[in-house]
Amino acid sequence: MTHPDPNTALSKCIIYFNDGNSRTFYSLDKKHKKSKPNQALGIRRLEKMLLQHFKGTWRTAIIYENCTNGKELAKYKNGVRLF
Amino acid sequence: MKNKSASRLQYDFGKLFTAAKTFIDTHNKKSTNLKDRLNANHRATAELIVRLYAKQLNKLISSGNPMHHEFPGFKTFNPSLASCKGCTTRTIMNHKERLKSAGFIIKETHHGKTGIELWINPLIFTPKKLPTPTVCKETKISQITSFFTKRVKNFHPLVHVQQEQNNNNSSVDILITSEKQGVRPKAHKQKYNCVTRTAHEQHMNTRESRTSDSDKQTRRLKNSSTGESESAFLLNLVQDFWLYTQPKLFESAIFSKPEETEILNFIWSSVYRKFKIKGSTNEWKSYQETLYARVDMVKRWLVRNPCRWIPPAHLYFHPENKRNSFIKTYRWFIKQQALKRQIRNRILIQKAEQEWKDYNQGEGKNRHKTRLQLFRLQQQHLDSYGDPMLIRAYEKSLQKIVNT
Repeated sequence: MTHPDPNTALSKCIIYFNDGNSRTFYSLDKKHKKSKPNQALGIRRLEKMLLQHFKGTWRTAIIYENCTNGKELAKYKNGVRLF
Repeated sequence: MKNKSASRLQYDFGKLFTAAKTFIDTHNKKSTNLKDRLNANHRATAELIVRLYAKQLNKLISSGNPMHHEFPGFKTFNPSLASCKGCTTRTIMNHKERLKSAGFIIKETHHGKTGIELWINPLIFTPKKLPTPTVCKETKISQITSFFTKRVKNFHPLVHVQQEQNNNNSSVDILITSEKQGVRPKAHKQKYNCVTRTAHEQHMNTRESRTSDSDKQTRRLKNSSTGESESAFLLNLVQDFWLYTQPKLFESAIFSKPEETEILNFIWSSVYRKFKIKGSTNEWKSYQETLYARVDMVKRWLVRNPCRWIPPAHLYFHPENKRNSFIKTYRWFIKQQALKRQIRNRILIQKAEQEWKDYNQGEGKNRHKTRLQLFRLQQQHLDSYGDPMLIRAYEKSLQKIVNT
């Protein structure tokens, strides 16, 4: 199984869980090993993870660009996307 | 003499090949794992890349653009490399991967249609020092004289570089020769294009008229500026379409910038077919109107029943989606238009029949007209719709009325 690489990922997601923990997840932006990276695909995958896999376990989640001073791309609160 | 000084500025293929070879050898020595080493095939690909890249750089230098700070990337295509080497593109890709891991290729960028760009390790392409003008004249002269006086056996070069030599006729493009030598001036120079004032001899051009050719080129120049505005107009259409569609079909969805760009790209390729079909601005505008009508149609269809749904935007406009994409609405739209036309025709013919009935009973606004006048009037009215089906249906109905 391929895992996202924090150094090459185009976006990252910080999740603040209900139990007080927080964790950063990195996007997997490729369809296959050799394909061109697609940031939108990575964001969609992160969103799917939030809304399906971690459903009901988190309060806030923010998706950022994975670079220094990266902008916020999307913000979720209690399962609802704010922007 | 001139050639010698010119060749000094350029990259020597032999030296580059040896540099590449030493680079690969040192890499192979360093790597203990057999899998990481570069074999003869990888070496051949590396040499091919070096050869073509050096050719590109030499061309660049000869055109008068010396690199001062940074090397330009090696622009090429995977298939062209593959055909040069006589292998498949897949092999080239695998070799590139291997060369990248070895550090031979530093970076690779894909430019889609315009190919790929490779950055080769600068260790191989260390820029040669250009001959400085401050060199003492005497030493220079002595060098030159030694070049002519030395009797050295003429060895064949180790590497076959014949094809990489400068073209003897390359001066034709550069336009360094005098006018009398029959070199044609650049076509888009207006002052030369006039027949009477041409710098080149007209009798030399026996095959093709230069004036006609230059006309084409100037036209192309003019078109380039109009082309820019046209492409801006076309891209605006895509933006407008998305701005119209989003609130109608995806009102609750929120999109980040990368997602939106992806959707716009999909719309461009699936809905507008990458603008490959040529059309005037008016034609595109009318197409845009039909697109809006299609979106409205889908919206109405969705509102009519809450159980109905459409896929998310990135799938709805995906060019590969053959199942439930927006492209499918075209057939639907055509069908709807045909149905609308049929109904309109039926109503029009019913009206005409009613007028004939009234006329026969001596009623209606046309009672004072002759039969021919009434026929002409109706025919004119129906002709204005420009539908041959309507005219045929009218003729049939008229025959029925006349026969009864």
